Amino acid sequence: MSAEAGASRATKTYRQKMSAGWWTQKRHYFLYMVREFTALPLALWLLWLLYEIYRAGRGPSHFYAPTSTAFVTFSVICLAFALYHSFTFLSLAGVILHFKVLDKPVPSRLIVMSQFGLWLVATIVIGAVLIGFGR
Amino acid sequence: MAEKRITIRATRFDPAKDEAPRLQSYDIPFSDDSMVVLDALNYIKSHVDGSLSYRWSCRMGICGSCGMTVNGTPKLTCAAFLRDYWPGAVTVTPLNNFPIVRDLVVDMEDFMHKLQSIKPWIIRKQEMPLGAGEHLQTMDQIDDFRQFSQCINCMLCYAACPVYGLDDKFLGPAAIALARRYNLDSRDQGTLQRLPVLASSDGVWECSFVGECSVVCPKGVDPAKAIQQTKLDTTVRFILPFGNRE
Repeated sequence: MSAEAGASRATKTYRQKMSAGWWTQKRHYFLYMVREFTALPLALWLLWLLYEIYRAGRGPSHFYAPTSTAFVTFSVICLAFALYHSFTFLSLAGVILHFKVLDKPVPSRLIVMSQFGLWLVATIVIGAVLIGFGR
Repeated sequence: MAEKRITIRATRFDPAKDEAPRLQSYDIPFSDDSMVVLDALNYIKSHVDGSLSYRWSCRMGICGSCGMTVNGTPKLTCAAFLRDYWPGAVTVTPLNNFPIVRDLVVDMEDFMHKLQSIKPWIIRKQEMPLGAGEHLQTMDQIDDFRQFSQCINCMLCYAACPVYGLDDKFLGPAAIALARRYNLDSRDQGTLQRLPVLASSDGVWECSFVGECSVVCPKGVDPAKAIQQTKLDTTVRFILPFGNRE
């Protein structure tokens, strides 16, 4: 946090301003920015996926599987960001969701575990469907 | 054996003379391991420089008035032990994100207005006469909001919140946590009166869940949790046809 100029003469106070690099000053802030940033590569990859679907829709002659090293590298990076994004999102679910069963609040750890369980099930189902269609 | 000493760097700002705050160093005795940063400031004020200005009162983490930034982290100075920093220097600056009035004293006016805007008191549709007795509550009902009722208005959460730092129109962590405390109270019927403030563009939706407010909270209130839960509540109220219940 920098104390830049901006003294208010009227109120006789000094107004503090945040520096542009505020998010580099604490590990927690930095991880928050990484968490927010993960949405960007995800969005880019999904845009690519939409383009792939558009090409596939034009028939087999217009479609070819992207196998370049650059694309594979980009996809692996996107996967890492997607996993981190999912991990943070599901971990925070225990903070956000609050409900009671038989008049007793459900422990947040149980909520988080159930979220990760559902994630695992969804991953297996989607993976099985994709592999099934691939064959 | 040489006397143990510690360097305290404190912000100095005299609005009548200074254009911007500056740091001033004080080398003081560190005579007792139980000394906290507030003790050091009190030593400076009593023995070195009587002009140093800062707020404090209870000295035991209850009043919430001695909140300052200690080595970059918002803390209650009565609970920040010098032994955790020694032999390094301790830099004490005013709480971030608030206008500095003088030295380590910040202007709390904005926070006070925000606190008032969420109506932090029990609202009843119709007040019961005193003779009708108390509003009874079970322990489970108290547990629903107990955590959020521990706030001491120390404003450390505002100082840690980059969202508030970038846009001071944001209602902020403590005010929202307190609103949640009353909304969850079985005796309260004022949720719909607080909703316009909570669900406004400067309310809960301004928060992007940095979470540092909950990290620095000295009373374990977890304002970030209060904010995210309020987001969920306002969404449910908006989506469900019967959601706008009280």
